Amino acid sequence: MSVQQNLEIRRSSGAVWGSLSGMRSVPTVSKYIDTTTCIGCKACEAACIEWNDLRHIATEQTGTYQTLPTLHAEYWNLIRFNERDFDGGLAWLMRKDQCMHCEEPGCLTACPAPGAIVQYANGIVDVNPDQCIGCRYCETGCPFDVPRFHQTTGKMAKCTLCVDRVSVGLEPACIKACPTGCLQFGTKDDMVALGLRRVDQLKGNGFTHATLYNPEGVHGTGVVTVLAHGDHPEWYDLPADPHVPLLVKFWKSILRPLGGIAIFGAVIGAFAHYTRFGPREVKGADATPERNLPEA
Amino acid sequence: MSAATPQRPFDTAIVAARHREDVVVGNELVRHRLASRVIHWSVAVTFFACVFTGMPIWTPVFGWMAHLFGGLTVCRLLHPWLGVAFFLASGVMFVHWIADMRLEPRDKEWLGPKALAYMRYETDDPDVGKYNGGQKLFFWAAGLGAVGLLLSGLLIWFPRAFPKLLVELSFLIHDVTFILFAVAIVLHIYLGTAAEPGTFGSMIRGTVTREWARLHHARWYREIVSGQENRRR
Repeated sequence: MSVQQNLEIRRSSGAVWGSLSGMRSVPTVSKYIDTTTCIGCKACEAACIEWNDLRHIATEQTGTYQTLPTLHAEYWNLIRFNERDFDGGLAWLMRKDQCMHCEEPGCLTACPAPGAIVQYANGIVDVNPDQCIGCRYCETGCPFDVPRFHQTTGKMAKCTLCVDRVSVGLEPACIKACPTGCLQFGTKDDMVALGLRRVDQLKGNGFTHATLYNPEGVHGTGVVTVLAHGDHPEWYDLPADPHVPLLVKFWKSILRPLGGIAIFGAVIGAFAHYTRFGPREVKGADATPERNLPEA
Repeated sequence: MSAATPQRPFDTAIVAARHREDVVVGNELVRHRLASRVIHWSVAVTFFACVFTGMPIWTPVFGWMAHLFGGLTVCRLLHPWLGVAFFLASGVMFVHWIADMRLEPRDKEWLGPKALAYMRYETDDPDVGKYNGGQKLFFWAAGLGAVGLLLSGLLIWFPRAFPKLLVELSFLIHDVTFILFAVAIVLHIYLGTAAEPGTFGSMIRGTVTREWARLHHARWYREIVSGQENRRR
């Protein structure tokens, strides 16, 4: 939740130009989620609330075992329960939903407040509430619909990948609590290797479309997810091909600099005009109105 | 009053300019009565309040502007409400001036070479009324811009109340409208002050000189002077 002194910042919101030192070389970290061995026990949900000192909010019955319809500013980690009928039978799918810690974070791209959203050298995308201005731009930038506006604090809130634990060598609270081992934590390389091995295993077991969800559109995520039905990410409420919205990239990185140049250009243009043509003096008289003295 | 008592000199023009517009007082013409000026400046003040609270959110290059209001968070809180105030002021201005701003066919020429000729001080159009084509087009563009800024601003303010694509588009519309608005305002201020001496007084004191009116708004000048003489007869 706050800037970790021992973690360098790779990227920051509202940075005019890079403010990174890049002295330390640390590997990118990642969560590993195996949806096929998740039993929906919600230990990770409880651990998240407990570690992050989140307030307990009323649950909402949606006709499934799911705690809430979507993520919440006080609920950063949610198991989504989905049921699907398909040719081979019924799939009861559980997926842990939280911030995906994108390699290219759309929230960070959209954020206008310097230092409010940062990506640490190890790839964790974090919010600094003291810098957050609550403008909600990140909600538009995120392709996974993760950032939530906290109504009482006026700040954005989301999973921090337990950066406070990770930075002192602990695994995130959700991973610590998982009883089946479907959640793992390690370097991105290790987690991808683990995921690919599990995908091969699933394919051998007849899940021919099994994949490791690590979408290229955002240059990969800091949460890799094993999906048995990889041809249908939407069954898990995952976008098939997530991208940072093109419009967000456009207004942020092209339109605003061009606009600044245009406004500055207008000032320069006015000055150039004045230099070339000068003021348009009123002929034959001083332009300043004469004061009307009282008539006799 | 007896001639022996020394009278305090008073300014008949500025007194007249409080309530009456388009009248001659001595060597001056009242161009904008007090109400017109107050409306104009309320739009200007709310516009610049929006600019100074919006620019630090637009880009950190202008982050220093946030200090004028007490920080970026204050800017974020103020900007939408100042935007509403700007829209309301613009609405009042629109209603106040719409009668004077009706576009005539010849005003369209201002979209082309006429504007350039004007900027080169080459035109000497004897048929310019109270507002020239450029001013009228600016009036309509400002009205349209205020609507565009309000609507797109509302979507940015309440992003969850609208489809995501519309919110994304709103950022584009808000930005483009602001850029055009800002460029136009720079030129508006330049023309109203440095480029055309005597013009600024019409928004402060409310009056212009006869010579100024004859040069810039010849038909307006003729109509007022002859109208006043007709009434006198």
